[in-house]
Amino acid sequence: MSNVPKEAIEVIAQSIGITNLSPDVALALAPDVEYRVREIMQEAIKCMRHSRRTVLTTDDVDSALNLRNVEPICGFASRDALRFKKAAGHKDLFYIDDKDVEFKEVLESPLPKAPLDTSVTSHWLAIEGIQPAIPENASIEAPSDGKKAEYKEDGLSVDVKLPIKHVLSRELQLYFDKIVDITMNKSVSILFKQALLSLATDSGLHPLVPYFTCFIADEVARNLNNFPLMFALMRVARSLLQNEHLHIEPYLHQLMPSIITCLVAKRLGNKFTENHWELRNFAAKLVASICKRFGHVYHNLQPRVTRTLLHAFLDPTKTFPQHYGAIQGLAALGPSVKTVLSLFSARSEERKNLEIYSPKVFVYLYYQILKRICSFLNLK
Amino acid sequence: MENMQAVNSFVAAYLKKKGFKEAEQLLEDLQKESAPIDFHNDPDLAKFIHHFSQSEDDVARYQDGYSKLRSWTYSSLDLYKHELLRVLYPVFIHSFMDLVAKGHLQEARTFFNAFHEDHELMHSRDLQKLEGVLSQSHLEEMEFARSLRQNKVNIKICQYSYGLLLQYLHKTQSTAMLGVINEHINFQVTSGQPGSISDDTEVVTLIGSCQDAASLINQKEIHWGLLEDSLEERLEKEGGLLSDSEKAEAENKEGDVDDSKKRSVEGGKQGASTKKLKKDKAVNATAKSARPEAKPTPAAPRVKPELTLPVMSTEVEQSILEDLRNRVQLSSVALPSVSFYTFLNTHNGLNCSSISQDGSLVAGGFSDSSLKVWDMAKLGQQAGSSTLQGENDSTSSEHVAGPNGVKRSYTLFQGHSGPVYSATFSPLADFILSSSADTTIRLWSTKLNANLVCYKGHNYPVWDVQFSPVGHYFASSSHDRTARIWSMDRIQPLRIMAGHLSDVDCVQWHVNCNYIATGSSDRTVRLWDVQSGECVRIFIGHRSMILSLAMSPDGRYMASGDEDGTIMMWDLSSGQCVTPLMGHTSCVWSLAFSCEGTVLASGSADCTVKLWDVKTSTKAPKNEEKSGNPNRLRSLKTLATKSSPVYSLRFSRRNLLFAAGVLSKNV
Repeated sequence: MSNVPKEAIEVIAQSIGITNLSPDVALALAPDVEYRVREIMQEAIKCMRHSRRTVLTTDDVDSALNLRNVEPICGFASRDALRFKKAAGHKDLFYIDDKDVEFKEVLESPLPKAPLDTSVTSHWLAIEGIQPAIPENASIEAPSDGKKAEYKEDGLSVDVKLPIKHVLSRELQLYFDKIVDITMNKSVSILFKQALLSLATDSGLHPLVPYFTCFIADEVARNLNNFPLMFALMRVARSLLQNEHLHIEPYLHQLMPSIITCLVAKRLGNKFTENHWELRNFAAKLVASICKRFGHVYHNLQPRVTRTLLHAFLDPTKTFPQHYGAIQGLAALGPSVKTVLSLFSARSEERKNLEIYSPKVFVYLYYQILKRICSFLNLK
Repeated sequence: MENMQAVNSFVAAYLKKKGFKEAEQLLEDLQKESAPIDFHNDPDLAKFIHHFSQSEDDVARYQDGYSKLRSWTYSSLDLYKHELLRVLYPVFIHSFMDLVAKGHLQEARTFFNAFHEDHELMHSRDLQKLEGVLSQSHLEEMEFARSLRQNKVNIKICQYSYGLLLQYLHKTQSTAMLGVINEHINFQVTSGQPGSISDDTEVVTLIGSCQDAASLINQKEIHWGLLEDSLEERLEKEGGLLSDSEKAEAENKEGDVDDSKKRSVEGGKQGASTKKLKKDKAVNATAKSARPEAKPTPAAPRVKPELTLPVMSTEVEQSILEDLRNRVQLSSVALPSVSFYTFLNTHNGLNCSSISQDGSLVAGGFSDSSLKVWDMAKLGQQAGSSTLQGENDSTSSEHVAGPNGVKRSYTLFQGHSGPVYSATFSPLADFILSSSADTTIRLWSTKLNANLVCYKGHNYPVWDVQFSPVGHYFASSSHDRTARIWSMDRIQPLRIMAGHLSDVDCVQWHVNCNYIATGSSDRTVRLWDVQSGECVRIFIGHRSMILSLAMSPDGRYMASGDEDGTIMMWDLSSGQCVTPLMGHTSCVWSLAFSCEGTVLASGSADCTVKLWDVKTSTKAPKNEEKSGNPNRLRSLKTLATKSSPVYSLRFSRRNLLFAAGVLSKNV
């Protein structure tokens, strides 16, 4: 009848040494126990609310018990929830997993770091009603749709706004120009590293994302021969992708071609000495990270990338660097793709060295590998 | 024949007891007409009596009757359906309690489980309470159930719906339902059209006794006007004299404004606190130029103070006047600036926070019984002198550096022996009051950094304490279901306000200091006369525990926020809800009106500060015509914090909004 079965009462009675509890008593006690528990919980919830929390803790229950003049249950003040484990061999029997702790170990272990003291910081949540884009504030993409709904619902849409031009604040414009300048001209300086860090962490950059993606796409298309610039651009792209405050998804379609280009382009840079392999590795990692992050949103992203790379890879007319890029890209995409390529991944290092010294040897080796992969794919 | 007489009188008594007036009347008429009634020849009556004898023990009738009544109600005409639906809930809970009272616990539980979902939406909290009732003794012990049992529910219903219901009940002869309805529902039959669905609020709070008493109490006269001879009034008078010089001043300043504003925006990016005061001024300076255009608000009526008020020193008065003169005019198009104080590393221990009038002091009450006060002005200076790097850590590490931990960034007040649930600054920020689970209220001096007085009077944890707008007096509310008025110089309370049916969770002063408002877990807000200690208003309408209250500066309106995120605006003079403000999804911890009462700010556990336009109806007559829904108050802006539930809000005299919250990772 009640949520507390009378069996529970019997078990508890046994555990405190009462063996001859009559079933009637258990039956009468069970509903009362439930009532008392509910009563305590009601008080505990009050305590929780007055502690300005929305999650009930053991402290609240203790305060509630105090309110009722009942001795609080000590020993459950840990922050984690108790872990109940299933008893082996029983279906519905659980126990609390208590670890044995050696006194010696506890005494000998170094003191834990003292918790940081409470402090207060201040920031502007809004200036004349407008939220400044600073790291302390939540990024402002989400509420936009909610807001529209609010206006509609109100029926008081007095301030109907005409479609306005995308306004970029002066500060942001300066910032963009500066970053572009550094990327184009000083991509080896420490300043560039700082700029990348800023791109990767700043929360107020969202309005600039379309400009940056456009910039990268343009410059990659234009400067295939300029190896250092290409590398710098890829780094900028990576920083943008790392920044968790940015909502970069809508711009992926602009970004992806540039990155894939850097991965499987026929020629990168105009000098033989330039280590374009590294750039390809870098771009491969970038592609992989994109697939990992947005793969669940765009379910056809990874298949498309894989197909592109595989095409490049299986086409014998393509050059080595292109093949190399394709392999790297596929390898970076993850275990499932990797298993296909695991056959030769061990030799990639070897191959790179070979390639530099004797291209012909590499050609031979390479086609060997290719054959084996093709046979593997067929098998599958 | 004697036997017959006995049966007759027994039946009459029974009918009387059960309240079947019509049947009783009928019986009397019958008796008059034909003295001896032949029961055996009257099949209807026999059947009726047969039903009675059966229903005494046949518990299934409740279940059966209720489910039939329910399906009948649901299939009734749309126009009358919502009125009839209102009847279902009281019938449901009383049927359940009847079953429990008669000892059919098993059946009561199955009955409850079968039908409680219908009412889950509107009455989930009541149902949670009732679900736990599992024996007769619980019914008596539980206050909620007792008050339900003892009092009738008032339901407004139109003539036709009432007729439909009676017809149904008579036709189906569901005596169990008829009994419940007669015993516990008091129909207020109105002629004409059925009421609108929105009237439902009246039925929602089933708190028994209050229904009649509340309407009676709400007829009492209250004086919601502002105090005579207040500073603002004086300012208005002075305003005429000053305006010329002020205008000139404003013009001179205008050149600076742009500069200082730019600087302060940059400041906001780097170290907000350093530039705070400057910004405050800058904002105000801009407003100054706009000020002459703003119309003076219609003056609220003036009332005499009932309490002897403390005298203000002239310097303080001057500074307040200065602030008032520099106040930003807020409206739906000119929103306030919000400065947010974030508590870090609280380890889930912060219970409450409070901000002083000028925003320079921030207090936090902790569950480890401590009260900590931060001086934001100092914090800003030090952060400013050390290079302007990410302020998050620099300040705290600087202060804690001392090996003995002597140097802290805050002043620690220790004295309580239980979690501190509330703290409040006096208007001039020279005193702090804190209330705690140890049933005491303590007065601390921020000048001496010491505990001055410990006020003992409550018997249970003190949930809230609030200084009056003029200082000196303060009000407290407690788990012992009372609110108390105190003055700083006495250790005994001056008044005790008793009447709430559950914990008094929050308390707030009316601007004229003659009234206090209290919000309670019994889901009502009450207004009390400070001088007489009487309850003068009961506001019924919330569906859950009330957590925050705020009074509009003109003294006419009050806002209350509850556990579900609903905010209600009340008209104090009529005791009616102006409009509910929906939008928050979780507990509304704090409410604040801007100084001229045009904007209401609310802070919630859903990590947002919302700004509401509360003057739409009076300030924009054009909109009224267009929208056709003039009383509708609307949400102006939602300011989201970064996972910091907002604990407290405060408008400065210059209309800068301060908010405080704790950074919590798991929200």
